[in-house]
Amino acid sequence: MKDPYEVLGVSRTASDSEIKNAYRELVKKYHPDNYVNNPLSDLASEKMKEINEAYDAVTKARSGGSAGGWQSGGYQSSGSYQSSGAYQSYGGSGSSAYAQVRAQINANQLDAAESLLNTAPNRDAEWYYLKGTIAYRRGWLDEARQNYQTACAMMPSNYEYQNALRTVQGGYTPYRQSNFQRSDMDTACDICNTLLCLNCLCGGCGR
Amino acid sequence: MFGYVRPRRDLLEQKELESYQAAYCGLCRALGKGYGFAARFLVNYDMTFLYLLRSSVDRPSERACRWCPARVLGKKPCTLDAEGYEAVAACTVILAMEKLRDNVRDEGFFRSLPYRALLLLYRRAGQRAAKRMPELAALTSAQLSALHALETAHSPSIDAAADAFARITEACAGDVKNPVLRRPMEQILYHTGRFLYLADALDDLKRDCDRDAYNPLRFRFSPEQGTLPEADLDYLTQLTDSSVNLAGAALALLPVKAHGGLLENIIYFGFPAVFAAVKAGKFRNRAKMRPIKEKNQ
Repeated sequence: MKDPYEVLGVSRTASDSEIKNAYRELVKKYHPDNYVNNPLSDLASEKMKEINEAYDAVTKARSGGSAGGWQSGGYQSSGSYQSSGAYQSYGGSGSSAYAQVRAQINANQLDAAESLLNTAPNRDAEWYYLKGTIAYRRGWLDEARQNYQTACAMMPSNYEYQNALRTVQGGYTPYRQSNFQRSDMDTACDICNTLLCLNCLCGGCGR
Repeated sequence: MFGYVRPRRDLLEQKELESYQAAYCGLCRALGKGYGFAARFLVNYDMTFLYLLRSSVDRPSERACRWCPARVLGKKPCTLDAEGYEAVAACTVILAMEKLRDNVRDEGFFRSLPYRALLLLYRRAGQRAAKRMPELAALTSAQLSALHALETAHSPSIDAAADAFARITEACAGDVKNPVLRRPMEQILYHTGRFLYLADALDDLKRDCDRDAYNPLRFRFSPEQGTLPEADLDYLTQLTDSSVNLAGAALALLPVKAHGGLLENIIYFGFPAVFAAVKAGKFRNRAKMRPIKEKNQ
């Protein structure tokens, strides 16, 4: 196993809150929502697993429970994220052919999935959704978007279809570890801290 | 290549700008060393991005000042990474040769004469590069033939046309052995190729409409006098934004040790800025007015 501190990107002397912040940032970065239908979702899941294990190891090694709140709550349940990379049918069609198509998409067997999908007798919302997902995985974003739009029009209340359409519309930007943003944030925090300090000083002078 | 893959220089830190310049000059030098002096003229921004991406998973290479033919007597800082540049230089030569062959095929006899002359000039360089990366050379030729078939059939599928080109750029990382590194690189390069193709198609739309030449945007949308309506332009922008997101998500999975900020800048800021310039019809003029040397100002 890799050095857990290295995985979290913190030094061994980092405080508990620094570790917690680094962990939160990594969870945001590799969150499965950033990799919905992405051909690299398996790599993102592995990365999440590695981060969770590293955080577990660090918190356990650091104390017998000072960070226990974290261990038991919040992100630890993110183990369940790993399964969300796989498709689940929300449409309720229960078709075994669709289940097979989803399994093939998960295994990146896109040609086989498409052949099987094309043999389906009728074209309902799920058919268009799966067609769109195959196109999305190939990087054929125009075709993916058109199919997702048809699926959403046929079943507007389906969250899975809406989410897929939102992703392909380019509206959702994955987490970005941007130096520019971070430096802006630092500046903003510095200003806030300065104002807070000034406020304290003014209060200390008794006005 | 097209020169559409470039960073937003105003958002780069000084160190990153220096790394970018040194990587560009290093590629020029590697082309000269590997394929002769004439090959130095094939250096471009797109292939500099390929080098930055491929070398991002290694420790940064050392830099030193070396003679620059553009300065005659002067020297410029170059990245010295013979091993890292080897595959990138071969990719540069192969893609340039195939582009020349494609131009010869597309143009009439007299118009194709300059391209034929260049093919002759780079003949040995092309043979050497094809020997270094035979799979890429074969795939590039096959994909350009597939693209030609789509052009002949007047295909309205922008996905199919962009895919034919994007598979070539994707294959530029095909020789990376470790799949954990190769797969994100391939996804980044696929969407970079897709972006390149769509930006170039939009840039050439007016000219292609005037000449009645193939352009997938002509058949997919309904341009009026060589210009797309605002709604179609917005749709196309969303498609390229989606490619940016997919490339960015892949970059996050690469264990980057060098050039991380530069790569993020190119993908998240460079791509949208270039596409906005193309949409406004300002990209070609900007490219002419602000050549490579702008960075020293």
